[in-house]
Amino acid sequence: MSDEWEPKIVGFLCNWCCYAGADMAGTSRMHYPANIRVIRVMCSSRINAEMIIKAFQTGADAVFIGGCHPGDCHYVDGNYRTKKRIDLLKRLIEHIGIEPERLRLEWISAAEGEEFAKTMKELRDDIKKLGPSPLREIAREAI
Amino acid sequence: MEDEVRKRIAEMLDSGEVTAVIALKDVLGMTTPCVFKKGDDLSSLRLSPHYPLATLAMKMHKMDPEYKIAILCRGCDERALLEMAKRNQIDMDKLSIIGIACDEETAKDCNCSVPYPSCEDLIGEKLEELELGDAFEDYKRMSTAEKLEFWKKQFEKCNKCYGCRNICQMCFCKDCELENELWLKKGRLPPDFPVYHLIRAFHLAGKCVGCGECESACPAGIPLMTINRLLRDDMKELFDYVVGNTEEVNPLYTKEEF
Repeated sequence: MSDEWEPKIVGFLCNWCCYAGADMAGTSRMHYPANIRVIRVMCSSRINAEMIIKAFQTGADAVFIGGCHPGDCHYVDGNYRTKKRIDLLKRLIEHIGIEPERLRLEWISAAEGEEFAKTMKELRDDIKKLGPSPLREIAREAI
Repeated sequence: MEDEVRKRIAEMLDSGEVTAVIALKDVLGMTTPCVFKKGDDLSSLRLSPHYPLATLAMKMHKMDPEYKIAILCRGCDERALLEMAKRNQIDMDKLSIIGIACDEETAKDCNCSVPYPSCEDLIGEKLEELELGDAFEDYKRMSTAEKLEFWKKQFEKCNKCYGCRNICQMCFCKDCELENELWLKKGRLPPDFPVYHLIRAFHLAGKCVGCGECESACPAGIPLMTINRLLRDDMKELFDYVVGNTEEVNPLYTKEEF
């Protein structure tokens, strides 16, 4: 094990697509960085701004949200709502001084295990370039 | 201007068009919100400073929905009433509006581009083409790290008095997420950076009418309107949504694609 800094990523994955996609990546024995801590939610629109803000406040270097492709939502229109919410939240965290790249929304279907592995690698590399979250130092001991 | 308003109020009360008028009055040299009824002395009526009267109208409406009220209304008050009506908090048919236009100084102070209500019989001069300039020029030039430093310093002053929420016309939820221990631990001062202020700002996106009451209510002097205004511009840019329009629903509540 190297002592190199590794980002901590909180992942909210939708039960029907992205979580199954991650499962697919696992059962197909694909390799991807283990930086993501997965939280399974029933729909990507279940994730509200508070959850993401709290994740950043408690020291997450990035937050990843995975949902179904537009039009494929199990609950018909959940992911459209997510898209709008995340677009605005990205602007808000940018105003406050957190790089918007730290919040990432991707559409990954249950069949796209490879896509999931690729996204995880990309995200890890991007965040490594950015460095630790600026909130990490000031994050008090939460919970 | 005050005399004109007095005349209008007297007319409305005498004709029985409304039973009460929500306005401001002078009590021992201080201005306070009040309700005028038929026969009341109107000489103590005041028009400034501005105060969120829409909240009072909403509360009265909830107590008795049949009660006919008139309200002294600036541009921001009208926007607040319209947004409340969209969320079923008030019935605009039961409400008469006495529209007053803000003067140039007040409008510039609030950085308000629409400092007048849309009603026809407006009292005062309508300021339509106001040169506001970009109030965030300096702010926008800051780098990400500088912005963080700026807000860290500002939010550290917060003593979590909830004054910004309590004065806000658009904060009418029964259960407030800012009191939820999941996000904000009790008894911690200043509140965890940046949870309190980000949650509030995000909840007000597409709701904030730009009255600036939160900023003037803040005992620590945090520039809360800066972040609200930035989000207002974002709502316009991303979803083409302007607060206070009569038909459109906040795009964050709808399922439509953008």
